[in-house]
Amino acid sequence: MSEPPQKNDIPVMIGIGEYKVGPEPMMSIGLGSCIGLTLYDDDHHIGAMVHIMLPDSSGRTDRPGKYADTAVPLLLQEMTALGCKKQKIIAKMAGGACMFIYFGNNLNIGERNSERIKSILEENHICLVAEDIGGNVGRTVIFKPREGGKVTVRRADGVSIEI
Amino acid sequence: MKLSAVQTDAVQELGNIGAAHAATTLSQMLMSPVEMSVPQIKVIDISQLGQYIGEESAALVVFELQGEIPHGGYIIFYITRASAVRLTNTMLGLTDENRPLNEMDESALLEIGNIMVSAFLDATAELLGFIMLPSPPALTIDMAHAAMESLIAQMAEEVDEVILFSTELVCEEHKLDSDIILMPEYTTLTKIVGLLENMIKPR
Repeated sequence: MSEPPQKNDIPVMIGIGEYKVGPEPMMSIGLGSCIGLTLYDDDHHIGAMVHIMLPDSSGRTDRPGKYADTAVPLLLQEMTALGCKKQKIIAKMAGGACMFIYFGNNLNIGERNSERIKSILEENHICLVAEDIGGNVGRTVIFKPREGGKVTVRRADGVSIEI
Repeated sequence: MKLSAVQTDAVQELGNIGAAHAATTLSQMLMSPVEMSVPQIKVIDISQLGQYIGEESAALVVFELQGEIPHGGYIIFYITRASAVRLTNTMLGLTDENRPLNEMDESALLEIGNIMVSAFLDATAELLGFIMLPSPPALTIDMAHAAMESLIAQMAEEVDEVILFSTELVCEEHKLDSDIILMPEYTTLTKIVGLLENMIKPR
């Protein structure tokens, strides 16, 4: 008989531009060109997740989770404030698709998002250990810091993969 | 942008007229009655989008609004995947509902979306004297939230809040549930509200 789901097993929803730091499960649904980025420290079993929409904040500070250039430093800062060591933190990301092939191609925000995140992670010496990005499919991402930072990516056809 | 009660009524009426024309074309294509809901105006913070549009599988036929305002926002024919199969089945004379959607379905959906959206925008242009032209359509059949957030990310003006005018179109006979959604840029919305205010102002 399976155990009834615990209250703290229900993932916290991370909407566009939102982020969360902690040990509890987190989830972003229906990522298109946006990116679900997760950071995880295995020593502390603490994770962070953010739902990034655009590569550049252009100086805006009111929604740091919305932009790659403000989100990554913020998450790192909050994790180190909880005692995590930067060199122990690993990153995974999913999303960055191009949902409409016929327009928005010239913008390709999904690709720009993932490139920007990669370069910022590199600048901060954070290792990107797994990714499921690009293509033209939507993705839902579930992140479980308590289960060793497990990241599950689910697609519209119901197929789930662990990255 | 905050709309007053009068502005909300006016925009709702505009949506009503546009959606009624779209519903008529859908009804003609299906040769069955199509019921229409009262148009809803939703002001949604982008972080809460998931509460309105989830990860359900749907077909979205999307048009950019062009014309006097070159990047005026988007208009979307939204139909759940299950309804989309029944819709194209009706059009193509098929019966299997558990089949994958193929190129034929995609062409049919693009064409149906095209006809409905053109009718919507013709009606609003006639009323307002302000022309919004649809771009060539783009189609995606995937998680609805993924499609909508990608559109919001590529809007001309960066936004933290979107305004959606949506009208539900339902065909009982064929069990079809769909929506026409208008997601204007602020410039478009300001223009539309201004024109409507002029129309209702006592002379």
